[in-house]
Amino acid sequence: MSAAPPALPVFVPGDYKTDLKPVWCPGCGDFGVLTALYRAMAELQLTPELTAVVSGIGCSSRLPGYVETYGFNTVHGRALPLATGVAVSRPDVKVIAVGGDGDGLAIGGNHFMHSARRNLDVTYILMDNEIYGLTKGQVAPTTPTGDKTKTTHYGNPEPAVDPCELAISFGATWVGRAFSGDLKGTVELIVKALRHRGFAFLNVMSPCVTWRGDDQFKSLKAKARPLPAGHDVTSRFEAFKFTRETDVLSTGVLYDVKSPSLNDRLDTIKVTARAGAPLVTVPEIVKTFLPSF
Amino acid sequence: MSRRDLTIAMVGAGGDGIVTMGDILSQAGARNGLNVIKTEAYGPQIRGGESSCVVRLSPSAIYEQGDAVDVLVVFSWADFGRFKGEVQPAPNAVVLFDEADPVARTREDLGIGADGHWLAVPFSKLAGDAGAKGSKNVVGLGVLTALFGLAEETIRRAVVKRFGRKKAAVGELALKAYEAGLVHGGTLPPMPERGLTFTPGPAKLLMSGNEASALGALHAGCRFFAGYPITPSTEILQFAEEWLPKMGGSVVQTEDELAAIGAVVGASFAGVKSMTATSGPGLSLMTEMLGLASMAEVPCVVVDVQRGGPSTGLPTKSEQSDLWQAVFAGHGDAPRVVIAASDVEDCFHTTVEAFNIAEEFQVPVIVLTDQSIGQRRETLDPTRLVHDVVDRAVPTAEELVEYKRYRDTPDGYSPMSVPGLKGGIYQTNGLEHDEFGRPASMAHVHETMNAKRYRKLKPIRDRYQRARRYGPAKADLGIVCWGSSKGAVKEAVLMAEERGEKVAAFIPQMIFPFPVKAFEEFRASVRQLLVIEISYAAQFYKYLRTFTTLPDNTIIFKRSGGKNLTISEVDDQIRRFFASGSQQKGAA
Repeated sequence: MSAAPPALPVFVPGDYKTDLKPVWCPGCGDFGVLTALYRAMAELQLTPELTAVVSGIGCSSRLPGYVETYGFNTVHGRALPLATGVAVSRPDVKVIAVGGDGDGLAIGGNHFMHSARRNLDVTYILMDNEIYGLTKGQVAPTTPTGDKTKTTHYGNPEPAVDPCELAISFGATWVGRAFSGDLKGTVELIVKALRHRGFAFLNVMSPCVTWRGDDQFKSLKAKARPLPAGHDVTSRFEAFKFTRETDVLSTGVLYDVKSPSLNDRLDTIKVTARAGAPLVTVPEIVKTFLPSF
Repeated sequence: MSRRDLTIAMVGAGGDGIVTMGDILSQAGARNGLNVIKTEAYGPQIRGGESSCVVRLSPSAIYEQGDAVDVLVVFSWADFGRFKGEVQPAPNAVVLFDEADPVARTREDLGIGADGHWLAVPFSKLAGDAGAKGSKNVVGLGVLTALFGLAEETIRRAVVKRFGRKKAAVGELALKAYEAGLVHGGTLPPMPERGLTFTPGPAKLLMSGNEASALGALHAGCRFFAGYPITPSTEILQFAEEWLPKMGGSVVQTEDELAAIGAVVGASFAGVKSMTATSGPGLSLMTEMLGLASMAEVPCVVVDVQRGGPSTGLPTKSEQSDLWQAVFAGHGDAPRVVIAASDVEDCFHTTVEAFNIAEEFQVPVIVLTDQSIGQRRETLDPTRLVHDVVDRAVPTAEELVEYKRYRDTPDGYSPMSVPGLKGGIYQTNGLEHDEFGRPASMAHVHETMNAKRYRKLKPIRDRYQRARRYGPAKADLGIVCWGSSKGAVKEAVLMAEERGEKVAAFIPQMIFPFPVKAFEEFRASVRQLLVIEISYAAQFYKYLRTFTTLPDNTIIFKRSGGKNLTISEVDDQIRRFFASGSQQKGAA
């Protein structure tokens, strides 16, 4: 007698929502990212207990508290190191790292470089508002030159970085750009990023109404437009053409190539190291310290 | 009377094969069941440069590198000069040096008395004549074998194994050099009374403290290791990288120490036992994450192989000056556990213990070792490498009903869920949080949760009052030290006992929480205390005063690192104490 197959759980976006109320200001772009994330997770039917959301510090880094998966809001700049530990030690867990531009590009910049280079099995969503929001309005690595902030009273003297340009340079195998005001587009890009094997970097322009005013939202909305059809996602050169834009904000998949992920490579090492032998035990290792002659 | 031990030092330039010579001597000793301690020292050069190696062999137990060496082999006096104060021959030592050395030294320069031997040996010439020009070291082994009755056949096999592993012909040439040394040694004045008398026993393991630390981690079930190379801890990372994949585990050499411990905390959050290893400057970078691990109550183990500091300090030399950093460094009130290893075998046990405590109580645990035990090789009895392993408890079905990750329990530790456990989903953070893990910055929550986190230290203190105590139950002098100072102190205590002096020693393995009760019992059992440590600032002495009281007449012996604590330094302190008549003055 064959039993009926157990019904597969069907997750709807609301299933990924916790009871915790976001601390974000009304109108914050991060709400759009969070909603898009719920929808993307539902679209992929991610198993909540086999998903981990890890962040550093900042407004956007509060996000793990709002997602009904295993979550860890860690310390400033260290989302990716923590995510590294989860992703490498538990390849069965889907790891999503989230954070802001200060967290990921200033204090955590070194980790960004190396996580991308390793092709870490992590989807990294950076919510870029071009400002330090949680500490109330200081200049960030993505703040445009000349902008006045709490720490650039006379205008920002420094040039900004383009996070997507960095990600491609560092070796990320999937790089996309979204605008949180475009919910549908953001959902689509998060889905694609989550489907990618290896390091997927999604920069979401996520306006800060509190410290950068309505202008930022309006300007982004006016500038956002999809990448041209036929954009060659496998070409770094083509992808770079859509970085450091000023008058437009090209959204979509800038870069997407296949390459073994860190876990793929570590799996290969495990196979090579064992060379068909069973797992080594500690007593066997101890024996190698006995003089044998 | 036969000798209790024999300490041989070798000094030369890079390329003289000093380390290989020491390796063969110590492997042969281990093969024959002798107790061996081998230390190496180098100049700062990446390749080449001066190197020295000291091997102490004994049929009975030894706990420390011998002080003044019995035998000194010098291939180059110029290089010997660079180890001033580090390699010291005894006044009655046998000194063998290359007769072709352009630099001349006299026995007076080295303080070799009439009962010593000053012997020029044609090491280079003999090696050249044997057709193995670079084999001065093997010639040296032959001379030493002949002079001191070392195990000729065992050394011969060790030489073949070492040199013949790639090309049999190279092994044969090395054997010729060995035979040449044996023959030449036969022409020198025989000194059998200086050799070791022993019956070969079962072979022993020959292992470094760093290897033992790594092995302890694997034994404890560590399956994820992240690290960043830093002298003198790097061998732990290398060992993990070699063996973990064969055990199904993974290693990541991260971009810095911040990432190393970050990945460790991440992997542990994910349910996998994890560790990193570093030295003082790296521990400084790891400090922020110790706070997070403490706050989020994530188990993690950090081995700190101390070196001379501050800053870059003395990367290749030992010191006990990370004590305060290990116990106190960090922002906020962040409970952690600090354990200290005192020898190579202890590196194994303390690391397993660190995992046991970390996993059960969900705290960061720091294991303090240092360069002197981390990088020295020591013989171990293979049957001693056993230690019970504690695994992390999985929340019960009952605990998963309205699961509270940070349930405020009587012992302070709460059931920890891991990814994959369906009813155990939680979100945690470095923010102060309530029992569910939700951010909460109210004063009363902070007070409650601080109390919960600190409460964990009590069962740890109660269950792990680990300290060693040597000497008689009642003593005139009670030495207190920690970590690698144990070896020299233990030997000095044994020497005092032979003289009929009552000296005891107290050496805590558990540094924080400090085993106050055990210490106070010790304090009450001795007339006067002597605190010994390798820290200019007397960190341990001041640390003791933080958690207990010390009598005003407590003697302090402390100095900077760079040179390991010697038996004679401790012995001097003991002799001085008894010579001063202090023991007559009554209880402190």
